Amino acid sequence: MQLNYLANLSHYVPELIVCLTMVMTMVVEATYANGEKSKPLMYWCSIVGLFCAFVVLCLSLGQAPTTAFFNAVVIDPFSTFVKIIMVLGTLGAIWLSHSSTDIYNPVKPEFIMLGLGVLVGGMLLASANNMLTLYLGIETLSILSYALASLRKNDERSSEAGLKYSLYGGISAGLMLFGMSHMFGVLGTIQFSGIAQNIATLSQNEMLVLIPAFLLFFVGIGYKIACVPFHMWSPDVYEGSPIPVTAFFSIVPKMAGIAVLLRITISFFADEGVMQYSWIGLLQVIAALTMTVGNVSAINQRSIKRMLAYSSIGHAGFMMLGAIVLGEEGIRAVLFYGLGYMFMTLAAFAITSFIQNKYGNDHFERFSGLIYRKPMMAIAMAIIMFSLAGIPPFSGFVAKFHILSAIIKEGYMTLAVIAAINSVVSLYYYLKVVRLMIFKPSEDNGEIQGFTFVNQSVIVALVVPVVILGVFWSKIMAVADGAKLFIQ
Amino acid sequence: MHGSSNLLNWILWMPLIGAIGVLLLPKAKESAMRWWSLVNTAITFALTLVLYSKFDTSVPGMQEAFTVKIPWIEQFNIFYSLGIDGISLPMILLTGLLFFICILSSWTITKSVKGYFALMLMLQSTVFGVFLALDFFLFYVYWEVMLIPMFFLIGIWGGENREYAAVKFFLYTFFGSILMLVGMVALYYATGQSTESFDILALSGGKFSELTVTMFGSTVSFAKLFFVFMFIGFAIKVPVFPFHTWLPHAHVQAPTAISVILAGVLLKMGTYGFLRIAFPIFPGAAVHFADAIAWLGLINIVYGALCAMAQTDVKKLVAYSSVSHMGFVMVGLAAMTTEGMNGAVLQMFNHGTSAAMLFLMVGILYERSHHRWIVRPDGTKGFGGLYTQMPIFAIIFIISMFAAMGLPGLSGFISEALIFLGIYQKYTTITVISLIGLLLGAAYLLWMFKRMFFGEVNESCKSYTDMNNREILFMVPLCIAVIVFGIWPSPILNIMKASVGQLVSMLSKF
Repeated sequence: MQLNYLANLSHYVPELIVCLTMVMTMVVEATYANGEKSKPLMYWCSIVGLFCAFVVLCLSLGQAPTTAFFNAVVIDPFSTFVKIIMVLGTLGAIWLSHSSTDIYNPVKPEFIMLGLGVLVGGMLLASANNMLTLYLGIETLSILSYALASLRKNDERSSEAGLKYSLYGGISAGLMLFGMSHMFGVLGTIQFSGIAQNIATLSQNEMLVLIPAFLLFFVGIGYKIACVPFHMWSPDVYEGSPIPVTAFFSIVPKMAGIAVLLRITISFFADEGVMQYSWIGLLQVIAALTMTVGNVSAINQRSIKRMLAYSSIGHAGFMMLGAIVLGEEGIRAVLFYGLGYMFMTLAAFAITSFIQNKYGNDHFERFSGLIYRKPMMAIAMAIIMFSLAGIPPFSGFVAKFHILSAIIKEGYMTLAVIAAINSVVSLYYYLKVVRLMIFKPSEDNGEIQGFTFVNQSVIVALVVPVVILGVFWSKIMAVADGAKLFIQ
Repeated sequence: MHGSSNLLNWILWMPLIGAIGVLLLPKAKESAMRWWSLVNTAITFALTLVLYSKFDTSVPGMQEAFTVKIPWIEQFNIFYSLGIDGISLPMILLTGLLFFICILSSWTITKSVKGYFALMLMLQSTVFGVFLALDFFLFYVYWEVMLIPMFFLIGIWGGENREYAAVKFFLYTFFGSILMLVGMVALYYATGQSTESFDILALSGGKFSELTVTMFGSTVSFAKLFFVFMFIGFAIKVPVFPFHTWLPHAHVQAPTAISVILAGVLLKMGTYGFLRIAFPIFPGAAVHFADAIAWLGLINIVYGALCAMAQTDVKKLVAYSSVSHMGFVMVGLAAMTTEGMNGAVLQMFNHGTSAAMLFLMVGILYERSHHRWIVRPDGTKGFGGLYTQMPIFAIIFIISMFAAMGLPGLSGFISEALIFLGIYQKYTTITVISLIGLLLGAAYLLWMFKRMFFGEVNESCKSYTDMNNREILFMVPLCIAVIVFGIWPSPILNIMKASVGQLVSMLSKF
């Protein structure tokens, strides 16, 4: 039995590395009395740790799917890929936090530790294979996020964000648990595979209990993805949190939520029937609403951070469409979308963060004339904006093409048109940024300190994949071809 | 024939090589950038002429000798596939010629020279991509990418209200093309499990007339629905009547060379889309909606002409005249007769040259006057007596004006006459009303000419110098084109005849 346990652990190396890194940072923080000395060490420690996790994940990408810990978690290419996106996202956010003045200096170590913790939660969620693991993952992710949101001590908005986040989070987690307990009551198992089997043979009465139970269950996931109508918390939280945290929130918890949604939808509702009909119907309506509300709300924002936050709601709606199609195309589309979105979001927030460091706010006007001051950064930002809007030849377009092609293949024409029109709406506010950067003269010619050579190189390194994924995506998709992404 | 199959590649990528060259030049070497761009577009134009000389006019479809087909995205069966036929060749020639002239006319640009010429050359590459692509996906990518350089060219080098114009242009076109994207993907899956592809030629021929699709809860004909989607996509570009509102802004705000490209080439991409994609893929739906298209075209003709008549800004007048003239193309397309279609394609080419001339002339005038008012808002005349002040300018202006008006002996006449021959067989009423449009066209152009060129020399006009050698140099080829093709249109008509004939006979089966 013990040997078996160790064998299981071997599938769990990336998570262990991340946990170990977290412990290391804590030790480093505790060892040095002088905070200034420990900071670079912690920073590099976390970067190296995450990089190792990234390498291990990449190496295990080709492995056949297995389950571990008595079916509690599943390691398949899908979960590994989601973890890669989350690890890279965390890496980027930590890099960003290093130079950000939005987080007070003394609190930076906390960001690293909490961020790594959230990442562990997210990784757990991505490979959850029973209800218990799922709940554990959600709670690990949430509780640490509450602390992250209120990271700017002494700042009212930040404390408000933390409080709001935790209140909403607590309620939705409670509702979710309530739904889960009903599910257990009816289906008699918490294992996903068991649930999937039992759902196929339900009586009328059992369905009557299960449909509301699944609705309650959805509240918990919907809250993590920040889809309408559970999105209310997100603009305030995104606004109140420091920029690196916002960047982190729009990647890691979101990807984790989408991953769970995909896994549940595809494992539970693969067979036609009342259950599938109601769940997919619910998702359709919510995805359409999420896209529309996110994009329309983003139009009138003054701060780039808030605009990006709202647009991330819109993008989450787009990714949800991938779950609706119930198939490999959908999974592939979501993974591609997530990967490109991670690069774009990080680069966009990074540029915003350096501007914010300089001026103390990130209003649109602060970007005016950027092309005359930092041409490379302006071009990078323009590429990201075009890509987010879905203009070829950038990865955002290919991602949208994949999603659209997956839903059109299944005949969801209405949804496709709604998604298409949403792209136009989003283009409007993305163009606002491009317009200011390139058409307007600069207000102030002071040097923006953040754009050092190294930082600019990192941003360029984040933008290059956006272009490459937009032109040569054949090779990247070929990796996913044939491999069974999922075990059901 | 491997040598000539690379010709299309060269035409497509040559401008991009030029753009990279411009970007690599140091910032201070502005005149080197100008000369480099000029040489580059000259080579490209020469390549298009080589293509013309090697073109076999007797072949109706795609010319095998030039076709390029390389897999790009295997998963979706997407190919990098280029080809040329009698419909795209006139457009390729026009693009090659106009960009060369535009580079020459942009000599006076001084604001960020590097960016301007680099974007201009990138734009040329994407325009070639649209006209050469035989894969719908590739076509779509070029169609969209084209928006990016255009957005910047209008937004950075345009007039006072340039930002609004650039954003409006971008959003309108994007709206149209995203609907086209939905239609394109739907087409891909409609071709059947094992034969899914974006190959335009494979999709053509009316294979989708039996299918239906459910949208917003009701079941509609697949072909009709997606024909409408594509129609909107292309109609915004043309622009067809209710979708035309971006055009006056974009045209007026854009710098001269960009207006020329916009009127000369970009509007043709819309009608080219009908000829290459919407009509061949959905011939049944095209025939079904032909009446509507003809009426919309008629509205374009008359409404555009009336709007032009009301303008006090000469560039806006020319812009609306483009709306009117593109209406003739739409009407010619809707007729679906041999004469009408040939006339429409010829009109695309001829309007490309004549509208380019008018915009260039307005640009030349603007460089001297820095305003474009025929009548200023306070009621005084903006210009007057230009005929005595600038005789060479006036003569070339007359040629371009008469070419646009469709005076016999100049190019516009042939194409409009062909269009009328084509539509008279089907739509008598429309023919008669569009003749009124022609009359209105003559009226607004002559009226404008009278107010600007005759009478006393305006006090402010006395300082204007006549056209310089460079300006004469880039106007002369266009003058020759409108005169030669007005008397002897067969070089252009011959190349398109076989391809257009094939399309017409295919459409006549539905």
